[in-house]
Amino acid sequence: MNIFPLKINNLNYSVNENTILKDIHLTCEKNTLTIIAGNNGSGKSTLLKILHGLIKVPINTVRWGDYSTSNIKINQSMVFQTPILLNRTTYDNLAYVTKKKNITEKFYVEKIIEKLNIKIISDINAKYLSGGERQKVAIAMSIIGSPKVIFMDEPTSQLDPAYKNEIENIIVDLSNNGVKIFLTSHDISQIRRIGKEIIFLDKGKLIYHDCIEKFFKDKHCDLVNNYINYG
Amino acid sequence: MLINILETAFNLIITLNDDLFEIINLSLKVTLSALIIAVSISIPFGAFLVFYKNKFQSFIVLIANTLMGMPPVVLGLLIYTLVSKKGIFGFLDILYTPTAMILAQTLLITPIVISLTYEEIYKKNKEYDLLLNSLNLNNFSKLKTLIYECRYALLTVALTGFGRASAEVGAVMIVGGNINHFTRVMTTAIAFETSRGSIELAVALGLILLLISLLITLLIKSLRKIS
Ligand SMILES: Nc1ncnc2c1ncn2[C@@H]1O[C@H](COP(=O)(O)OP(=O)(O)OP(=O)(O)O)[C@@H](O)[C@H]1O
Ligand SMILES: [Mg+2]
Repeated sequence: MNIFPLKINNLNYSVNENTILKDIHLTCEKNTLTIIAGNNGSGKSTLLKILHGLIKVPINTVRWGDYSTSNIKINQSMVFQTPILLNRTTYDNLAYVTKKKNITEKFYVEKIIEKLNIKIISDINAKYLSGGERQKVAIAMSIIGSPKVIFMDEPTSQLDPAYKNEIENIIVDLSNNGVKIFLTSHDISQIRRIGKEIIFLDKGKLIYHDCIEKFFKDKHCDLVNNYINYG
Repeated sequence: MLINILETAFNLIITLNDDLFEIINLSLKVTLSALIIAVSISIPFGAFLVFYKNKFQSFIVLIANTLMGMPPVVLGLLIYTLVSKKGIFGFLDILYTPTAMILAQTLLITPIVISLTYEEIYKKNKEYDLLLNSLNLNNFSKLKTLIYECRYALLTVALTGFGRASAEVGAVMIVGGNINHFTRVMTTAIAFETSRGSIELAVALGLILLLISLLITLLIKSLRKIS
């Protein structure tokens, strides 16, 4: 199944006359790790939700190769900016997703727990987890069932440096193994470390889209310069 | 005077007086049957409504909320006109039977359970909507998850329904007729015994009703703590 190129064609999205995304045209040819950057409220999370089919837009605005978003949603997963976990233990949250993805493999949940190094919180109810721990569980949930596309909305914003490094390694690993990752981040050094391609949004408009090396070499407007300098 | 009444009442309860036992037994049977029927219809229905963000949904919620405020006597009257000999359901021949009382209590609490269920599921759905959609679940799967996540809140809803149904007197009086050894329940017995001056039995039943109410309150309180 070939989901490339991803084409966004004249995407406009507004809520109650508030324009949130405006005239977005975009083609992602290659299966690389794409960063979505931009200031608060620029529309990053909204764009991810649209690409994941959680916000409906006219069917031809987003095409994944020959597929529409609803056709390939089943092969996508998302880490939300504010992790959403069910009121049960870490283990049971992972088991829930595993079951919903119809995975019957034995010890699958255990493997995910091992991979994400979250054994010590596996028996704790999600409601008692710390912010960073919730993020870890949400990331663990997102890789269940080997999705082809993972949307990660600031997945490491609350993680400690060492664990952030572990997660970055996992993300890079996934990407190298052909999983398409869209990742939003305000962390410039992280963007430098793992990004391959970057989309920059400003107030709902796409103002930059190119590979990462070029992004860090190019001359930019003040807005982007500030983002890079203070990020 | 009051002391004497209470003493006799307590005696009736402790010795498990036959009349008293019979009345409590029927009350519980009627109310529990009504509760089971109402809950098994209303919880799935109330939950299902959450997925219909349209006029149908607001209409049903409006109706449910309106019916919640309907005086039980009016409901009793309505059922009476339907199931009495000349009513369209007269052929069922259920007037002045426990079946009619179950029907009355079921209809009485159904709107309450629908409305409260809808509210609980609506709140939870707001919290989990993105996750459940992201997992590409169909409505039935979502519903199962939401009901499970709301299980303690929904138990509270059921207990509220039970409380309402067991405390009600107007409707069961009209459709049940308070027939001794047949359709006499706690609330109708209290009204009847008081009116004919046999206050001890009434007080004993009143105490039992209070006890049930206390139990429900305690249960609801501990359920709140768990959830
Ligand atoms: N349902 C909605 N109703 C009204 N406004 C909305 C709605 N959803 C998003 N917005 C607005 O759209 C803009 C973009 O929101 P979005 O969450 O996509 O921003 P973001 O780029 O992810 O920001 P952040 O970096 O803070 O996460 C914000 O100004 C937000 O207030
Ligand atoms: Mg965001």
